[in-house]
Amino acid sequence: MTPLSLTARVSLLFAAGVTVVLLGLGWLVAWSVDRHFQEIDRHALEGKLALVGNLMAKANSPEAMDEVPRELDDALVGHEGLSVTLVDAQGNKWFASRDLDYPAALFRAPAQRGLTTWREGERGYRGLKAPVMTGDGRTLTAAIVLDISHHMHFIDAFRQGLVIAMTLAALLTAGLGWLAAHTGLRPLRRMTDMAAGLSASRLNERLPEAGLPPEIQNLATAFNAMLDRLEESFRRLSEFSSDIAHELRTPVSNLLIQTHVALGRSRSAEEYREVLLSSAEEYERLARMIGDMLFLAKADNRLIAPSQESVDLAAEASGLVEFYGILAEERGIRLQVAGRATAAGDRLMLRRALSNLLSNAIRHSPAGGTVTVRLDSDAAGSVVTVENQGAIPAEHLPRLFDRFFTGDPVRRAGGEGVGLGLAIVRSIVEVHGGEITAESEGGLTRFAIHLPMHAA
Amino acid sequence: MKILIVEDEPKTGDYLKQGLTEAGFVADLARDGWDGLELAKDGHYDLMILDVMLPGLDGWQVLDGVRRAGVETPVLFLTARDQVADRVKGLELGADDYLVKPFAFAELLARVRTLLRRGRGGLEPTVLKVADLELDLLRRRAIRAGKKIDLTAKEFALLELLLRRQGEVLPRSLIASLVWDMNFDSDTNVIDVAVRRLRAKIDEGFESRLIHTVRGMGYVLDMDRDGA
Repeated sequence: MTPLSLTARVSLLFAAGVTVVLLGLGWLVAWSVDRHFQEIDRHALEGKLALVGNLMAKANSPEAMDEVPRELDDALVGHEGLSVTLVDAQGNKWFASRDLDYPAALFRAPAQRGLTTWREGERGYRGLKAPVMTGDGRTLTAAIVLDISHHMHFIDAFRQGLVIAMTLAALLTAGLGWLAAHTGLRPLRRMTDMAAGLSASRLNERLPEAGLPPEIQNLATAFNAMLDRLEESFRRLSEFSSDIAHELRTPVSNLLIQTHVALGRSRSAEEYREVLLSSAEEYERLARMIGDMLFLAKADNRLIAPSQESVDLAAEASGLVEFYGILAEERGIRLQVAGRATAAGDRLMLRRALSNLLSNAIRHSPAGGTVTVRLDSDAAGSVVTVENQGAIPAEHLPRLFDRFFTGDPVRRAGGEGVGLGLAIVRSIVEVHGGEITAESEGGLTRFAIHLPMHAA
Repeated sequence: MKILIVEDEPKTGDYLKQGLTEAGFVADLARDGWDGLELAKDGHYDLMILDVMLPGLDGWQVLDGVRRAGVETPVLFLTARDQVADRVKGLELGADDYLVKPFAFAELLARVRTLLRRGRGGLEPTVLKVADLELDLLRRRAIRAGKKIDLTAKEFALLELLLRRQGEVLPRSLIASLVWDMNFDSDTNVIDVAVRRLRAKIDEGFESRLIHTVRGMGYVLDMDRDGA
């Protein structure tokens, strides 16, 4: 089932609310009118009852008793629709005014002093009964009945009118509610239209946040923030793709040229061998680059789940120093490890990150320099710093961890890596929930990895 | 030694077969999973090289079928996707090793030889010898032409690896992985320096050279070889 539109919801809820209020109000009005008529009727009936009681009390002789019916008739003249019946203790009718049948319904009602209302066919009646004492000591029951058909008809008509008016009012409020909701939600529709117009090629567009109602403004802000992130990842992705294309083009074109030239004329086996060897080197470079790029792509897409073992960073560092020491010694560079730290994470990945940093430091350290690996840990986690002599131009610092970034274009031509090493370090640190920083001052360059106690 | 290659990519299959044949193995090539399974079940191979992505039956199904048939031939699988899940799956199904494409042929050859050696068993020798070079594994001593050579622990490990695999070209990445536990791309210049130093101790001052560089591939220890 499709959920109702907001406009429909708001207008229906509004109409339902208004209908309930109108119903309550209508019931109150009808009840008040009814009540008002009852009061008038009670007043009239009680007045007549008092009159009958007086007449009966005055009749203290049989002669006087005989006079009572005539007096009653006189008293009732001019009171249309009012009738009086008197019944003795045995249930015999002693008096009844002319224009009314015996009010059986009233006598059936429980013997209480209160108004009784009943209907006979089209007509409605309201009556009151009470015992009256005659002057000679007998007790009769007096029943006074009022024809209230006209009241009843009035109330019925009034109720009908009320129902019609209320139905119309409910329909009208539903319509008005719909109109109000529709108008009120206009900014939302405007936003939807704008959002629908966005596409990958127009990711730089933003929803205008000014002039929106607060509820929608929050939504627009969140939406714009999402667009910012999307645009950023999109930009990085397309940059990466074009970098890949560019980086692959060079070795592939080298291979093509070399192969075509070699095939240009027949050569000695030694020459062919040379071509193949040179190709093998290019292929190896390509394979390595592809492997690195895959690793980065997987890290970006969160496809790499580092295991959570306790890694003795000092042991890893000294193992790596043993490996790179061979190269460092060759170049007259001193390697040293200071401090201890453990981290939670993937041993192989952390080792790789540290290896890349060390290799980078040795490559950029001047002969006779020192590369220091410092390990620290505190409550927040562990910190690994790799420091070497040699400065990095300040403008290069923010881009150091970008893919394919090598500050020195000449170094690239030398075939030492393609500038993915530090990007891999950053990816590894980030999948461990850590952070990497680089700074260069006073002729020293320092990379610092901050790893949390438990990887995110 | 008979090796079965199951690989659908035509060039890869052909070159694997040629390379292995030229390395002294008898190699058969199946180009899809069904053929591969049939051959594996009754071909009496010493080793299977199995591509994962195959038409018909995929590599996993072939491996499963082979193991169900009770054939315990060691299996090296080739995968283009370096997913941990893939590796785990392969090893759980009974594969013995894996390689991620693209790989160096020398690396494949080294793995193949390791797997074939593993099956042979037998007592490990305690002294490795080639020409006049002798490596005493128990006393951690290297002697060439009766002269003791001082080696660091890693140099000893490197020489031991070269000796155990004499005649095999060992790629730099394999050496880094086996000697220094560098199981990822690292600076291979380190290996060059390490081998150069080892060579200075082993070969310098002797008439025949034992450690050779194979350009574009790696290093090999061999008695007499055209050092390229």
